[in-house]
Amino acid sequence: MALPLKYNIRNIIVRKGSTLATAFTIGLTVAVFLLVMALARGIDSTLASSGEPLNVIVMREGSTAELNSTVEQGQFKDLMYLDGVARENEQPLAAGEIITLIYKARKGMSQGSNVTVRGVGPMSFKLRSGFKVVAGRSFQPGLTEAVVAKRIAERFQGLEVGDKFRIQTTDYTVVGLFDSAGKAFESEIWVDINSLASTTKRTEAFSTALLRAKDQTALNALTKRITDDPKLHLKATSERTFYEEQQGQASGALKALAVFITFIMAVGAGFAGMNTMYAAVARRTTEIGTLRVLGFGRFSILIAFLLESVSIALIGAVIGILLSLPLNFVSTGTSNWVTFSEIAFNFKVTPDLMIWGLTFGAIIGFVGSLFPSIRASRFRIVDALRA
Amino acid sequence: MKFAKLVFKNILRNRLRTLLTILSLVVSLFLIVTLGTILTEFDRGTEESNPLRLATRHAVSLGFVMPMAHLQRIRAVPGVKDAMEFNWFGGIYKDERNFFANFAVDAKRLKGIVTELKMSDAEWQAFENDKQGAIVGQKLVTLYGFTPGQRITLKSPIYNQSVEFIIRGVVTGGDEKTLFFHSDYINELLPEWAKDQASVFTILANTAEDVPRVAQAIDSIFVNSDAPTKTETEKEFALSFQSMMGGVKQFMYYIMAAITFSVLLVMGNTMAMTVRERIKEVGTLKAIGFQRRTIAGLFLAESLVLALIGGVIGVGGAELLYRSFPFGTYIPFFSQFIPTGTTLLAAFILALMVGLISVAYSAYRVSGLTIAEALRSTE
Repeated sequence: MALPLKYNIRNIIVRKGSTLATAFTIGLTVAVFLLVMALARGIDSTLASSGEPLNVIVMREGSTAELNSTVEQGQFKDLMYLDGVARENEQPLAAGEIITLIYKARKGMSQGSNVTVRGVGPMSFKLRSGFKVVAGRSFQPGLTEAVVAKRIAERFQGLEVGDKFRIQTTDYTVVGLFDSAGKAFESEIWVDINSLASTTKRTEAFSTALLRAKDQTALNALTKRITDDPKLHLKATSERTFYEEQQGQASGALKALAVFITFIMAVGAGFAGMNTMYAAVARRTTEIGTLRVLGFGRFSILIAFLLESVSIALIGAVIGILLSLPLNFVSTGTSNWVTFSEIAFNFKVTPDLMIWGLTFGAIIGFVGSLFPSIRASRFRIVDALRA
Repeated sequence: MKFAKLVFKNILRNRLRTLLTILSLVVSLFLIVTLGTILTEFDRGTEESNPLRLATRHAVSLGFVMPMAHLQRIRAVPGVKDAMEFNWFGGIYKDERNFFANFAVDAKRLKGIVTELKMSDAEWQAFENDKQGAIVGQKLVTLYGFTPGQRITLKSPIYNQSVEFIIRGVVTGGDEKTLFFHSDYINELLPEWAKDQASVFTILANTAEDVPRVAQAIDSIFVNSDAPTKTETEKEFALSFQSMMGGVKQFMYYIMAAITFSVLLVMGNTMAMTVRERIKEVGTLKAIGFQRRTIAGLFLAESLVLALIGGVIGVGGAELLYRSFPFGTYIPFFSQFIPTGTTLLAAFILALMVGLISVAYSAYRVSGLTIAEALRSTE
């Protein structure tokens, strides 16, 4: 015969203070787990969403990042007219781009980080979806003007509309801010390609070439055709793969840290839970004896105490999730070790992470209450009633 | 002191609870020391830098290279004792998980510029004489079992090239997790676009007064060249790497705060239970004539003793563990993993604070009850 749930609920309510303290301990463990995982998830999803499915990025053979790649202008013309490159109004959808970095100080700090500057042409905007100017205007071709990703302007000094910053020896004026639905280029500064070419004295070569394939088959054929050409010394990758490959390096260490910290915190919370449940069992010894006299079996008592503890743990996990939810509105940044430049991203507390948090909390509750519950179920009726 | 026995008797009254509370404290403090050590280990590179050494890199970023021809002009700058290239090769040994730093350097100058590297004269000689030679840090020997004379292959994704080296010596000092080899050897093998270039020049100044002058002089030489430079002290150079961590460091502090708060809850809950169970005793004590102060003091002492034990085991245990086993060898990017004195002290003080705060309210409340209230209590 099972004990009614009402019994557990009333017990939880009677011991409000103790229940809340235990729940909070578990909640904090879950919140820390979610904090670190949401950080890793934020980096991953920024990189995962960044590649356009049909875009092909072409870099020099052996380059690990756009920054140290070169694609000569002559080569770019050949690439543009390859079979399989999509067209719009007879114009091939292809863009050569130049990448450079500038070093900027973070807001409120004297130290800073590298920010990627991308020289783009009119085609670049067609090849990338989601680009939207949210303040000011876009740059004018031929002028030394720049649009800055909103997240970067928020994190670094001197990148608001109207500010000037220096690329090598030339001053650029910020004329607008943009956002791009959480993609990786939301960590960049965009300027006119021709201006950047003359600033960086790179008038004969681009850093990379971006091509739009007609369809998936054309994409596969194009990447193979370009990479295998012995004369070109270039390497073509689908843009999606390019960004996905950067994921593990940035977030792997964070995930390991999350597991380590939460495991130890969970052990600590488990001990705390045990304490609470042992106290509960001790206080209710006579009550347990009475229940047994009424005909409830040992197993029902065991289950009742386990259920009670798991419910407290679940309340805790929910508290933890609620504590971590505001993180969804926090954006932060760290360096992408592949590109040596800043990557800005939002924390992402996703539903699957929340389910992990709940499961995790329930496990702490279960393990923490196992021994106290077993003790409760083993009382002899006479002893329990006499306590 | 005359109450010491009473305090200990009380602590031993519910041994299981005492044990669980202490264990919970121990793991939390262990974790706090560990996280604190992660933070201080990030700083180690800056702390241990040589104040006479400078690093020159491309003004735009480390991702850009400078021509080797810069080096002759850098060496001619007054105040420069010596200078050499220090090129990141990014070579991978067998598998990507085997991460360690490897640099192409001027083998003849390495000893004089990176003075913390220690090796026998015979080994230095063997390294200098063998163009294909490489020297490895002591910790790499522990990790991969390298032995002098062994041939190893490093594959660099940057240059898309596999290169074979022969180990000629084992270095102590420095981070001991780095491999150095001859840059003139690799220069012959690299593809045309990568020849005669350097990503970093390491410079040793004569005196501390020369350091700022040298940095300025070097940068002004190249300001209008195709490859303008940025020269910083080794410390500033290391700091710029650290700063790239960005927000991540800050979140470590948040996590430590969350752990502290959670220990506070655990201790607070335990002490609340303990105090509540003894309300009737408080009535008796008061009836015998004990002062409110003494009663509160007894509870406070009990909590502090628990915190002290937890602190000693947790903080001391972490120290013992990290001192006795060289974790630094096995964690990528770290050379050591040893808690600093400040971290240990801070964690210990934190434990005592937790002991103090967690019992404060319960002790205050219960010790303030009148005899009748306490004896009649049904809590």
